[in-house]
Amino acid sequence: MFLRAASSFVTLCLIAVLALASPAPAFAQEAKSDAAIFVGNFSQHGINDILAATIPDAEKAQRFRDMFKTYFDLPGIGRFVLTRYWKAATPAEQEKFTTLFEDVVVYTWARRFSEYNGQTLKVTNQQPDGADGTLVKTTISGKDANYSFGVDWRLRKRPEGFKVLDIVIEGVSMAITYRQDYSTVIAQTGSFAGLLGQMEKQAADLKAQQKS
Amino acid sequence: MASLSACATKPPATNAMALAAYEEADDPLEPMNRAMFTVDASLDKVLVRPVIQGYRLIVPRQGRKGIYNFVNNLRSPVTLANDILQGEFTRAGITLGRAVVNTGMGFFGFFDVGQKLGLDRHTEDFGQTLGVWGVPEGPFVYVPFLGPSSVRDGAGTAVDAFLIDPLTWYSRGDGAMGWVQWAYFGTTYVSAKDVFMDPLDELKKSSLDYYAALRSSYRQIRAAEIRNGAPPPLEDFE
Repeated sequence: MFLRAASSFVTLCLIAVLALASPAPAFAQEAKSDAAIFVGNFSQHGINDILAATIPDAEKAQRFRDMFKTYFDLPGIGRFVLTRYWKAATPAEQEKFTTLFEDVVVYTWARRFSEYNGQTLKVTNQQPDGADGTLVKTTISGKDANYSFGVDWRLRKRPEGFKVLDIVIEGVSMAITYRQDYSTVIAQTGSFAGLLGQMEKQAADLKAQQKS
Repeated sequence: MASLSACATKPPATNAMALAAYEEADDPLEPMNRAMFTVDASLDKVLVRPVIQGYRLIVPRQGRKGIYNFVNNLRSPVTLANDILQGEFTRAGITLGRAVVNTGMGFFGFFDVGQKLGLDRHTEDFGQTLGVWGVPEGPFVYVPFLGPSSVRDGAGTAVDAFLIDPLTWYSRGDGAMGWVQWAYFGTTYVSAKDVFMDPLDELKKSSLDYYAALRSSYRQIRAAEIRNGAPPPLEDFE
């Protein structure tokens, strides 16, 4: 008697919980927005032409570099990551930083392309972000749904179309992390040139780790 | 003298760049934290890393995942209590539902059946509850063996461990059940280190000052957990 009462209580709880937890299908019914299409294109391009492509690793790194330059707002990222140091820097220094930052990002990610194992990206939601921006929320998951994680894409509308300003992986913003890392290095070395020197060394180290 | 040198010295106003960086870092215990961080790096090398490598060698991937699910399930009462303390009743329902299906149908939590039913896992702790209640995080603290924390989160961990977690009530006291607590702590520790080791190695490689990058990531993760996954505020992204 008690067991039956208990098990029907558990069933009731489960039904209530499942009803509460079912996601509202609001976004699914909308037509795909430009921002969602942009992120979808980025992921499709990345998976088909780089991650899952059968080409040499050096070619993958080169394609990723081109893609990074096309899809990401490098000057915008520079302004955000370096804040006051960006304004104080000469155009030549800004250019030097952008080139080194591109190297650091490309070599950091390219080392891991071989680990790709069929993961896919799904756009789950989006919302306006600032005056001319959109924040696109996505989930990346592999064959095993337990190991999925959330990635938010902070997009800005530029004259030539959408550009990525930041990606936020499980709550951690790449731009904020780089900003705090780099401002610590500038404070320690005492100069912008000190940061550029360390980035140069890091880029060379990461490059040396590429599988040839 | 030793206690004085544990605190960072504020740069003079004449050095605007250093002062701005100091204020941005917001880490008054930085010299002590960095010393602890160095101690932790050595402990990691000689003790923690070999243990995790051994664990990966002995227990296959599926088994490690099961153990991870198991300790997460054991922690459900702590998450549930904090869901309720934060007034998050829908999430409390999800936590309860997951605990029921995972314990009952998931072989005491080894299999995450709840996830397959669309009940996504989340964790809460008393540090997050304090954050929701508006308590600021306080100074950043780096603890060897345990990693990054803050005054608020450290206090939260103590409340969870000693007041909220029923496993602690059960095993506290005469010492006869003390091994339960140690086994629980040890398994949770090894499982968490196993999960975090590779992402942290990546952060170390992609950063110039690993300590600064880790401090920043820790704060961002905690802020995101307190917002329950809502996107980060705009700040000065414009």
